[in-house]
Amino acid sequence: MTKPSIPVGIICSQHGPYQAMGREILKSAMMAVDEINEQDEFDFAISAHVRDPRGIISEYHTVCDDLIRNVGVEHIIGCYTSASRKQVLPIVERTDRLLWYPARYEGFECSDNVIYVGASPNHNVLPLVRYVLDNLSREIFCVGSNYVWTWETNRVTRELVTAARGKILAERLLELGESAVGHIVDEIVRRRPPVVFNTLVGSSSYDFIRAFHAATSAAGLDIPMLSCSLCEPELKIAGPASAGCITSSAYFESIQLPENRAFVARWKARHGEHSSPSVDGQSAYVAVYLLARALQRAGTSDIGEVRRAAAGHRYNSPQGPVWIDGSNNHCVLTPRLAVSNAEGQFDIFWEAEAPVRPDPYLTQLDIAASPARDGTLPNAPHLRVVK
Amino acid sequence: MSKPSSFSLRGRKALVAIKDERDATIVRRQFERLGIDIVAWEPGAKIDCRPDVTLIDDDFLPLTSPVQRAVLGRSPVIALLGTETPSRLKLVLELDPASFLVKPLRSAGIYAALVLAFERSERTSELKQQVVKLEQRLRSRRVVLAAVLQVMHTHALAEPAAFALIRRAAMEQRKTIEELSAEITAKGSLPAQRALS
Repeated sequence: MTKPSIPVGIICSQHGPYQAMGREILKSAMMAVDEINEQDEFDFAISAHVRDPRGIISEYHTVCDDLIRNVGVEHIIGCYTSASRKQVLPIVERTDRLLWYPARYEGFECSDNVIYVGASPNHNVLPLVRYVLDNLSREIFCVGSNYVWTWETNRVTRELVTAARGKILAERLLELGESAVGHIVDEIVRRRPPVVFNTLVGSSSYDFIRAFHAATSAAGLDIPMLSCSLCEPELKIAGPASAGCITSSAYFESIQLPENRAFVARWKARHGEHSSPSVDGQSAYVAVYLLARALQRAGTSDIGEVRRAAAGHRYNSPQGPVWIDGSNNHCVLTPRLAVSNAEGQFDIFWEAEAPVRPDPYLTQLDIAASPARDGTLPNAPHLRVVK
Repeated sequence: MSKPSSFSLRGRKALVAIKDERDATIVRRQFERLGIDIVAWEPGAKIDCRPDVTLIDDDFLPLTSPVQRAVLGRSPVIALLGTETPSRLKLVLELDPASFLVKPLRSAGIYAALVLAFERSERTSELKQQVVKLEQRLRSRRVVLAAVLQVMHTHALAEPAAFALIRRAAMEQRKTIEELSAEITAKGSLPAQRALS
């Protein structure tokens, strides 16, 4: 018997400045859709309607409107940048639809019409900066893309560093897609900062990583680089120069959980032995599963019912147990720190003891709390650990 | 102790007067996320807390009680606007709001309105303190001028030297120029001329 079909919109840019990440998100989302449609556990099939805004910000509004008016979707998975999410937000709120947003973002938003599946700022920026302050340095050189993710990440970093009596040595910004990174690399070699925090995205980041590695190696410098966004497919693009980057993320391909090993095996069978899932792609996969499980539990696609069914429902995903915090529609997940290696993978050296509640407004952040000085990794005093 | 950051709202107390239950629910949920304590209030009822901020629905305006207006004046007010007609805005302006939100409310905008209100209130308070100081100094200008003239006459000095003498004496005695000037004019006690050397 054919299962009834539920239309779901998928919005991700397959062209434009962040096409690489858009393609990763689509690949992972479609993998989840195909798996769900083959499983008896679900008494419906998902009919995916994919739209490509081509990285053009105004197109997000157009394709979202089309999905809602012409296809009649109630649930949409996708958007990558905050700017794209902000384009879609007024439509989904006005028409009372639900956007399942997979990307980690800078926080300070909480719409009833969005399920935020990616990491909140307390999941990625805080553990990374705490680790640096505790173990590496109280002086940080920041370089990033000139947009909201960098602005807010730098603000939080500055507050934490200043509270620890440290110093932001510089805050250098490049326009999205800018490839002229030489002057910043020259400045780094000249000033020799103890740590460089890279919040560049896309091709700018890969150009910077390569130039940084070449210049610091030539000068005999060993300056650690930090990131909250680097992922395995990007390590492959940036090449061997990307080794040694200390990265904060909820997902790495190297997570040693049975669910992740099975996920990676399915991924490689589908996309090739040498391909790797990314954090945002895996998050899109999780988003589709969270949606499908909520649809199944709710027995309807009505967004109020689905939202209630999603809240608090634990799913053992590739990245570990996750669930939606019903008080703010953000995901409870496990922060991790890792260092990238020469094989294009990450060696995980720390993870929270248990999944951490999302704190999108950083309400629980105690800026004044001084970092531990015992050389331990970031832990309980600064992170709300939930059982 | 450093002043709390306007970006961190945890632990603050809000007096909230909202007519529509849907709007009230949105505010309650968002305040819970931000860690803000809510005290629900309906104009006419007694205010028995000291709020850090007040959210008031324009449907409750005007406030007839002078006591209530005074209580609200002690902390920043955020007005919830249902209409932008000048007649309604006039009522809102009587509360000197530090920020506003447009009804029907969404969760988006509430955090920004709060941060702006706290920051605006803080800056206005600093400006008011500055104004008070400047007014005091303006009032005492006449006294300082009289003291300078007295020192000029007594010590046969030009105006800059007389003022320098008073300023140096004030510093030595750890007094303000205005305080010392008042003493000079009231008691006739002049700074010793050696202070000039």
